[in-house]
Amino acid sequence: MTDQADLLAEFSNALARRAETAKTAIVAIRLAHGRHLTGMVWRSEIVVASEQSLPQRDDFELVAAGGAVVTARMAGRDPATNIAILRLAEPMASPSIAAGEAHTGAVALAIGADGTGEASARLGLVNLAGAEWHSSRGGLIDRRIVLDLRLARHEEGGPVFDTAGACLGMSTFGPRGQVIAIPTATIERIVPLLLKNGRIARGWLGVALQAVAVPDALRETAGQSSGLMVMSVVDDGPAAQAGIVAGDIVLSVDGTSTHRFRKIAMHFGSDSIGRKADLRLIRSGAVITVPTTIAERPAA
Amino acid sequence: MREAARKLAPTARLRVAIYAMDLLRRTALGRVVAEAGHIVVGAEDAADVVLADGDCATGETRPVVTLGGTGDDRPGVLSPDAGADQIDAAIRAVSAGLIVRLPDAMDAGFGAMRETDGHALLTPRELEVLATLAEGMTNKAIARRLNISLHTVKFHVESLFRKLGARTRTEAVAKASERRRHETIAL
Repeated sequence: MTDQADLLAEFSNALARRAETAKTAIVAIRLAHGRHLTGMVWRSEIVVASEQSLPQRDDFELVAAGGAVVTARMAGRDPATNIAILRLAEPMASPSIAAGEAHTGAVALAIGADGTGEASARLGLVNLAGAEWHSSRGGLIDRRIVLDLRLARHEEGGPVFDTAGACLGMSTFGPRGQVIAIPTATIERIVPLLLKNGRIARGWLGVALQAVAVPDALRETAGQSSGLMVMSVVDDGPAAQAGIVAGDIVLSVDGTSTHRFRKIAMHFGSDSIGRKADLRLIRSGAVITVPTTIAERPAA
Repeated sequence: MREAARKLAPTARLRVAIYAMDLLRRTALGRVVAEAGHIVVGAEDAADVVLADGDCATGETRPVVTLGGTGDDRPGVLSPDAGADQIDAAIRAVSAGLIVRLPDAMDAGFGAMRETDGHALLTPRELEVLATLAEGMTNKAIARRLNISLHTVKFHVESLFRKLGARTRTEAVAKASERRRHETIAL
C-alpha cells in the first residue's frame, strides 16, 4: 500500500466510527422472556419506538449506552403512523438528530440495540425512496422509504443514517418482513402532538364498512359502480345517532366518492372532529342523503 | 444407524403438557392430543411440548404451541379454533425444533392502505349468499332462506366462484374472509 489511503478500509473505518457514535442514540427496550426492541433517543427525555411491536404497557425498563438500566413511561402511541414515545424518568445525554433526505440507491446504515448497552449495525441501500403514502390504519407517512437490508426483530425501532450521518428515519417492518423506515419528517410531525395528548385524534362515525359492487339496477341512479356497505354500527356512535343502519351502501361523504379508501380516510383527520358530513347512500333501493356529525374516535 | 432410524420414525409419541383454564377445553385438547398418538402429562411433568389454550406462564421454558396466545416469541402459534390436524402437526414440528406460524402472520407489519379491485367486488346479494354458504347450507335451503329461485341461487354461487377464483364452497368462504380483511375499513 502506498501513502494514499485504501478507499475500502477508509469506508469500513468510517462505518465503524458511525456505529460507535450511534451507541448513544439508541436504547434497548426490555420486553418479556429476555427479549428486547430498539428505541431511538429522540430528545434527552424522549425515546421513539415502533408502535406495532411495543406491548400495551405503562412502564418500561430501558438499557442505555454502557449498560445502565433506566425506567420510562409510555407517553403516547399512534398506530396510524407506527410511532410510540416513552418518557424517561431521568433525562440522558442525547445526540442531536439531523433529518436526512432519502435517495434511491444511497447507502444506509441501520443501528439496533443489542440489549447490553452496545449497538449492532446493518448496512444496505435505500431500495426505494418514493412519495408520501397512507398506512392501512389511516396515517399519512411523509415518504415511502424501503431499505435493502436485513434487520433482526430486536433491532426494529432504531435509527437509519445516511453517509452524512443524517437520520433518514426509524427502522420498522412492513408486510412480509420488508424493512422500511418511518421518515424523520413524520416523527417530527407526530411527536409534539403525542406529547400534548398522548394520542392523535381522528374523526369517527362508528361504522365498519366493506367495499361492494353497486347492484346493476341502481348503478345509473347512484352514478358509480362501487360503494361501501355498512356491516356494523357502533351503539350510540355518530352514525347510529344519525340513523345509519347495517346494509346501507355509502356512495359518498360530503361529495367525495367512496370509490377510493384513501380519499375517504383523508376526510377523517383530526380537523374533521365536530364537522357535519353528508352521507349519500343507497337504502332499500333508493338513493338518499343522511346528515351526520363526525365525532372523535374513542381510545382503542 | 439406530439413531438415524429413530430420527426418521414418523410416529414418535410425544409427551405433551396442556395448559387451559377452562376444564372442558382442557379435556377436549387432551383428547385431540391422545388421539394423535401422544401422551398427555401433568402440567409440571417433564414434557416435550406444552400446548397452551391462549397464553401460558411467562416463565415457561419448554417449547410452547399456543392457541390464540399473544406470545409472538413462542415457537408455535395457531389460531384459537385450530383443528386436530394442525395441532398434531404443530406439536410435532415444534418438538423437532421448528417454528410454526399461520400464513396470516406473514402479512403482519406496517403496510399501506390497499385500494380494492373494483371489477371483482361482490354485490350485496352475493354477500348474503356467501353468508349462507359459510353456514354450510344447500342451494335449496339458500333459496328458501333468501326467498329466491333455485336457478338464481346457482347463478349467484357461480358468480361468487368466478369473482373469488374459487372451485369449492369452502374455498369461496375462505377466500372471501381473506378479502374482507383488505376491503373493510372502520370509520
